[in-house]
Amino acid sequence: MNLIKRLGLTAVGALIAATTVSAAWAESAADRAVKEAQKYKGQTITIVWEAGLQSLDPLNFSGPLWEKLTGMKVKVVEVQTAEMFTKIMQEYRAGTGAYDALNVMPSWMPDLANAGALEPLDAYVDKYGYKDEFQKIAPIYRDNWAKANGKIYGLPDDGDVFIMYFRKDIFEDPKIKDAFKAKTGHDLSVPKTWKEFGETGSALTEILKPQNVYGAAFFRQPPYTMFMFQERFRNEGGKFFDAETMKATINSDIGVKVLTDMRNENKFMPPGVEQWGFVENLAAFMAGQTAMTISWPPYGRWAAGYGTDDKALNWVPKSTVGGKVGYALPPGGHPELAAGFDLSIASTSKNKDAAYLFIQWLNSEDISLQRVKLPTTLRDPFRDSHYTDAGYLALWPDAKDYLKTLKDASLAGIFDLSVLQTDKYEEVLRQAIGKLWAGEDPKAILDAAAGEWDGITKKIGVDKQKAVYADWASKSGAYPK
Amino acid sequence: MTSASPFVRSVIARHPSGRMPDHNFRYWIIAPSVFLLLLIGLFPLIYSLVVSFQQITMTDYDTSFAGLTNYAQLFDDARLWQSIAHTLIITIIALPVELVFGLAMAHLFLERMPGRQIFISLIVLPTVISPVVAGATWRLLFDQRYGPINQVIGWFAGHEVVMLWNITPHLVYPAILICEIWQWTPFMFLILLAALSNVDKSLTEAAELDGAGFWRIFFKIVLPAIWPVMAIAILIRGVDLFRIFDVIWALTSGGPGTMTETISIYTYVQGFQQFESSYTAAIAFLIVGLMSVIVIWAIRRMGLAK
Amino acid sequence: MTNFSLAATRRWKLACRYGLASLLLVFFVFPIYWLFIISFKTPDEIFHFPPVWYPKSFQFANYAVLFKDGDAVSVLNSLILAGVSTVIAMIFGTMCAYSLVRFKTGGEDFAVWVISQRLMPPIAIIFPIFLLYVYLGWVDSYGGLIILYTAFNLPYVIWMMRGYIEDIPLELEESALVDGCSRWAVLWKVVFPMARTGLFATAVFTFVFAWNEFIFALVLTRTEVVTYTVQVTHYFGGQSNFWAKIAAMSALGTVPVFITVSLLQRFLVRGISMGAVKG
Repeated sequence: MNLIKRLGLTAVGALIAATTVSAAWAESAADRAVKEAQKYKGQTITIVWEAGLQSLDPLNFSGPLWEKLTGMKVKVVEVQTAEMFTKIMQEYRAGTGAYDALNVMPSWMPDLANAGALEPLDAYVDKYGYKDEFQKIAPIYRDNWAKANGKIYGLPDDGDVFIMYFRKDIFEDPKIKDAFKAKTGHDLSVPKTWKEFGETGSALTEILKPQNVYGAAFFRQPPYTMFMFQERFRNEGGKFFDAETMKATINSDIGVKVLTDMRNENKFMPPGVEQWGFVENLAAFMAGQTAMTISWPPYGRWAAGYGTDDKALNWVPKSTVGGKVGYALPPGGHPELAAGFDLSIASTSKNKDAAYLFIQWLNSEDISLQRVKLPTTLRDPFRDSHYTDAGYLALWPDAKDYLKTLKDASLAGIFDLSVLQTDKYEEVLRQAIGKLWAGEDPKAILDAAAGEWDGITKKIGVDKQKAVYADWASKSGAYPK
Repeated sequence: MTSASPFVRSVIARHPSGRMPDHNFRYWIIAPSVFLLLLIGLFPLIYSLVVSFQQITMTDYDTSFAGLTNYAQLFDDARLWQSIAHTLIITIIALPVELVFGLAMAHLFLERMPGRQIFISLIVLPTVISPVVAGATWRLLFDQRYGPINQVIGWFAGHEVVMLWNITPHLVYPAILICEIWQWTPFMFLILLAALSNVDKSLTEAAELDGAGFWRIFFKIVLPAIWPVMAIAILIRGVDLFRIFDVIWALTSGGPGTMTETISIYTYVQGFQQFESSYTAAIAFLIVGLMSVIVIWAIRRMGLAK
Repeated sequence: MTNFSLAATRRWKLACRYGLASLLLVFFVFPIYWLFIISFKTPDEIFHFPPVWYPKSFQFANYAVLFKDGDAVSVLNSLILAGVSTVIAMIFGTMCAYSLVRFKTGGEDFAVWVISQRLMPPIAIIFPIFLLYVYLGWVDSYGGLIILYTAFNLPYVIWMMRGYIEDIPLELEESALVDGCSRWAVLWKVVFPMARTGLFATAVFTFVFAWNEFIFALVLTRTEVVTYTVQVTHYFGGQSNFWAKIAAMSALGTVPVFITVSLLQRFLVRGISMGAVKG
């Protein structure tokens, strides 16, 4: 009797466990979002998205798919990157509810959250059971990009990070290796420190001169170099502020060294590199004219030829280096998670639940995986599952190295400074870079910049900013461990 | 009526009390314009004035009365005054160049010549392009790697030249000025051409027969005749140059550093990137105040409102 | 002077004129050529070093994409906004200018106030206007922007037309009045036709200003009434400068204005023979 009872209970228990598990399996966050969204059939939600290539995702793929599954229409408001913050704030101040969901750069989070423009998402995450899948976002993004003041304000949706791309064929060419050894006394290898980088780059430029190839090039325009400065400065041990006094410490010797090194490096890069932006740098690399470069993940996909056949990408120069590209962490080993995007909800939205369901669906395991694999996407892998997905690995022969590098980068990465009015501080840095290229003295530039930073901090309120900075600095990705 | 003296006629024209339906004519015909101008001109002005006395910044929606703090801040703001200086430099150089260049071109095309229409239609193209695109186009033209200008200079110099037009301090202003003059000289050209065409030919021909030289005729007959239109063109172009934004934004974004930052760019940065709403309103009033003084002086000096 | 040398001098002068005209043409048109030619290049040609002056073949793929994606609609939007606002501004503005010239309505102060409206840097007032439009529900609407563009172009029209109307001899209007025309008829039958040259010159530039207007369109449109100037800026991205699209869109946006200008400039240059009247 006892045995049968026990067997019966076990069976029932197993059955319950099985159904619960299968129910849990069946109800992914994506499915749950779709299910809950049925009651909003026929409504329209508006989402702000970066104009250009980025918005092809909601316009051509995710928007129409969502409408098919739920009957909810998605209106995409394309906004140029430089205008996004402005438009979001303007709408918030006007309070009309014109925007429901938003794409937000993590460095804007403190400002937008403190101004009250963003809706805290904790309640929604609980209500719609998103905790599990939220946890599965790669820790570096999950822990650094999602919260402000301890509350969730955005779902990290784009794994931006700086990766080094190098020409495997050049680094493995015996003749070049010999010439390099003869010139420098050590073996040719992918540089792990910035000192090595300077040496390797200049030697390669000399060796490859007859072929009109340069050792390296970067996008040296101020907006991009500003991120590079944040990366290198911290990799070399620099700190942005003195945590006690909140005095800016970017004009330390480390800062001066970084600026001086950058300027010296330009000497072995193609002339005019100071004008280069994202596309100029890409074009040169794709045409095989540079042996090393650093940029965001899309370079890796396009250099391999993935997606570049699509009409939407017909502006990308055709890759001549497919199959010859290697991937590595940038010198210093702690790459910058530069820029990036979170999905958020506007606090003045009149359709918060509906909008939240849409972004939960977008950000979920199932759907995000499909989205990062779209040929035209600019969204980079950001979930643990993305890095190991069989479908992704099969996209091109070296994809496994690519994904491994992205994963390593996510483990060691550091993210953008984000405090109150971050853009003001960033603007000072951008201008400092501009002055650097104009030929001014690095120490003078940084002293002026530090002075401006102190002025900004004073205007905001030292104590206020100190608290926000402390919050930022306490995160895992603030300074290299 | 036609036999009445000009004085009488002008009196009647100004006080047509003998023709009741026409008495209010002059007011009816300005009504729509005034209405629109008030709608767009008055409310924002009042709003901006109010805001400039408050303390609204990006994160602080503080609407308490702050007195003249924002205005006091204006005087300490070195960057503001630098931006005004930058704006003046551009205006003072570009305006005369566009004027003289446009006038010369208008003279060139004044007389008939076969194909004149085609030349004119094509030359006017730069003005027709959006300033944002014009700035971007010249940015590409000046590009070290992908632009033809440095390539051509290299041909003349015999070797490859490295001129970073939008970054190097001594090249940025020439770059901006070239783009700006390129885009707006056709505007002056067209207006002056229309004005020159209206100059009474019989007068100039008579003067020629009398033996007067080209310059004499120009300064004594032509210039006074085209002055009303030319003065307005100068004023309008001058005001537009003072507000210059798109071209510089596309070429240099106000850089390097803040070297090419004009007053409009600085206002934009403060208002739309830093969201210092109240301070921006104060800046706006300063600009409006300055410009009103200058323009009113110019108008009275040039006798435009008579 | 013999006939021969007179003709030779004239031919030499003409040759000089053509020479100068051609140089000017190259200066003014080359950058536009460069921009347009980008719209026909392949990306490898756009980002080719050294620069490609003439593409291997003309490909229309960039234009096709614009039409397929529906971006080309922005040109139509610009056309509507600029066209309607220009016509309205020309009518209201010329009427107002007439009043200022003939009746000195409002005196010097009113004239000064009118031009002060054009001084106002759009940046200074854009936010209050944005709020006003939100309140009226005019954001992203044709009507709202037309009203705004008209208002902004009025000062320019009024001031330009003042100059041109002053050139019209008073006698013409007086004779019409004597013939029994009402003042309205004088306006339409005498003033507008006589000021034709100035009218077209002003209309051309009013149209162009409205066409190329950027900042108001940027702030006050979202998805419905996007103009071509705002559409072009969508292609300046952080991670992608679609030069091909920028060039193609600019080309599409320039063609209508080019046509307008070439049609109207015939009227611009033809002078009115004032001599007959004054003589």
